[in-house]
Amino acid sequence: MDSVSSTLTTPATPTSPSPSGAPLLRVRDLRTWFPIKRGLFQTTVGHVKAVDGVSFDVHAGKTLGLVGESGCGKTTVGRTILRLIPATGGEVIFKGQDFYKYRGAELRRLRRHMQIIFQDPVSSLNPRMTVGNIIGEPLTVHGIATGADRDDRVASLLHRVGLDPAYASRYPHEFSGGQRQRIGIARAIALSPDFIVCDEPVSALDVSIQSQVLNLLDDIQKELGIAYLFIAHNLAVVEHFSDEIAVMYLGRIVEKAGSVELYANPKHPYTMALLSAIPEPDPRPRKRRIVLSGEVPSPSNPPTGCPFHPRCHVTRDAAKQANASETVELTIGGRSERVLSKCVRECPPLEQKQGETGHVAACWVTQ
Amino acid sequence: MAPPPIPRPVTAARPLLELRDLNVAFETSRGLVRPVQDVSYSIYPGQTLAVVGESGCGKSVTALSILRLIPSPPGKVLGGQILFEGRDLLALSEREMQSVRGRDIAMIFQEPMTSLNPVYTIGDQIAEAVMLHQKVSARQGYEIAEQAMKDVGIADPGRRLHEYPHQMSGGMRQRVMIAMALSCKPKLLIADEPTTALDVTIQAQILELLRKLQRETGMAMLLITHDLGVVAENADAVAVMYASRVVEYATVEQIFDRPQHPYTEGLLKSVPKLGAHAQRLVSIPGMVPNPSNFPGGCKFHTRCPRTRELAARANPAETVEVRSGDETFRVMARCTAAGPRVVPQAPTAGEPELREESQGHWARCHYAENFEKAPVTRPDLANKREVTPEAVVVAELGAVTL
Repeated sequence: MDSVSSTLTTPATPTSPSPSGAPLLRVRDLRTWFPIKRGLFQTTVGHVKAVDGVSFDVHAGKTLGLVGESGCGKTTVGRTILRLIPATGGEVIFKGQDFYKYRGAELRRLRRHMQIIFQDPVSSLNPRMTVGNIIGEPLTVHGIATGADRDDRVASLLHRVGLDPAYASRYPHEFSGGQRQRIGIARAIALSPDFIVCDEPVSALDVSIQSQVLNLLDDIQKELGIAYLFIAHNLAVVEHFSDEIAVMYLGRIVEKAGSVELYANPKHPYTMALLSAIPEPDPRPRKRRIVLSGEVPSPSNPPTGCPFHPRCHVTRDAAKQANASETVELTIGGRSERVLSKCVRECPPLEQKQGETGHVAACWVTQ
Repeated sequence: MAPPPIPRPVTAARPLLELRDLNVAFETSRGLVRPVQDVSYSIYPGQTLAVVGESGCGKSVTALSILRLIPSPPGKVLGGQILFEGRDLLALSEREMQSVRGRDIAMIFQEPMTSLNPVYTIGDQIAEAVMLHQKVSARQGYEIAEQAMKDVGIADPGRRLHEYPHQMSGGMRQRVMIAMALSCKPKLLIADEPTTALDVTIQAQILELLRKLQRETGMAMLLITHDLGVVAENADAVAVMYASRVVEYATVEQIFDRPQHPYTEGLLKSVPKLGAHAQRLVSIPGMVPNPSNFPGGCKFHTRCPRTRELAARANPAETVEVRSGDETFRVMARCTAAGPRVVPQAPTAGEPELREESQGHWARCHYAENFEKAPVTRPDLANKREVTPEAVVVAELGAVTL
């Protein structure tokens, strides 16, 4: 195992090492808007704000979990950071360098330190390339190894992810989903990156294979000190895997905290609902369930104020206690509901809540 | 300690559906593949039976065979019986079967995108099913369709009736599928991974809805899933399938409290649990075997932690060395096949039978607690848990139109 980390030690990076204590990756006010075009001249009539003002830090060797339902923008965040999708605005500071300012060869040099593992292990591997070429290609592209040296590195990478090095000459279709995901992991760690975006790495796998792949990712992190941005919709998987968790809703982070803290002490009503919605593998569950009404609204036309207010149970409860002048009646799904007018008017900022330092949530009601 | 299985309060002497030694095979270019082998279980009125297993274990093929939806050729039923209210569905004519499908037994599928016809409105599709099975006019058909949509919590059903599937979200489409399945008031609903394609908050809505409808109509449900959380919260009885066979069959409490088969045990341990942060997951080694090339003997022996542990302590004469994938290890000789793979339909050498470990708890493992003394009995479990773990709904907010 050690041979892998040593043979794959990278030459000096083009960037200066980050000062100790500073995060490896700093994302500030990231925005990814997709234009909505209409009519003959394809004029832009609006934007889908897939990601709208997301900020977080990822520390070296640590995992930040990013969780949310489909359409919340979590995948777009991962891809925008890596510049697979151009950002509309915001900053990504990687190892103290402004990643979005780089171009051409310099950009390529920096990119080798950032990798991605995709959700779908079938479509993310080229069916016409052998496993050896898939894993070895980044080594060639970055001029790290060729010929026999490259083959050796590929063999040790395959061994590292629990596959027989003899598989290098085979094609992706000869492997099961779990094995393909291992190949994807081998490709991602081939360049000894400092940071990997894991985009739903286990959701396409069978239950018994999921735990194998999660354990492998865990071992690799401990061994090589890689930081992960772990994107998933399954909060139980994210909670298991992450040091810190950010919950996204409609393109924004609505809550962020250490993973133990977030589970024990959720502050945003959406996080509460998400936690309570996960069915527990216990025939005598003890938790209360919050069944959210409706679905995630379209990001092209988000609700005013707090984007969660049409589905929020906390604002409804608060409205019952509040002075009638502070509430407003809304018609939601054919029913009239009273909510706090503040929740409809203004979007709450992400602010420190009672609890651990660094536990932030965007809610007007909870403390 | 687990409480004893709760006797079913409703009196129904015979099961609604009973599978007896069902065997299904597919003719392929690489020979006969047998995705369903000797599967037996029963479902009583009002009961929910969950069938759990990983992809390729045969759980969906079993369900499709119940409705006789397996294309033939290449598929064929090699043997066994599917008794619905005492009638063998396998003996019915195709015409008789058509009146069972949809009316007596309805099915909802995992993929709500592809199970609806994109060129007809939602109302057309529900009303078509209604008119086919009930002697009603088109107008009445649409009225029943509207009511069915209202029952599944679709807001403004009168307007939605005239919409097309693409105008709806995944959760909405799954509601439409449920409305269609329930419009003819079936006695049994087969739900094949009904929430796998949906987000957790939508999954919670759909499962809550299915439980409510089941309480109101008393229909039975065959719930096929790989999610043990969904099983724990919804099932009365559980059948765990591995490599075409039922390996364990018991009440939901017994499955979670005292699993007897090492595969069930492994599945339970490999799921990350909320609140158990950063504990290393226990994983089952190896991968699900391919149905065209099952290992001989107990089909789980190549991945089984129990037989390896036992072999490490046992007399070497009782153990054998096995090579699976890239690994070589020792297992108990009894768990492996004594000879080459045998012809279909003959009992496979070395494969344990499904035995009744304790009353109402069947397992297929040589090294289950009571295997030596346990009798081979017909798997039949009538239990219905008294208290459905009715998660307290803090905010039942109704449907939101978007």
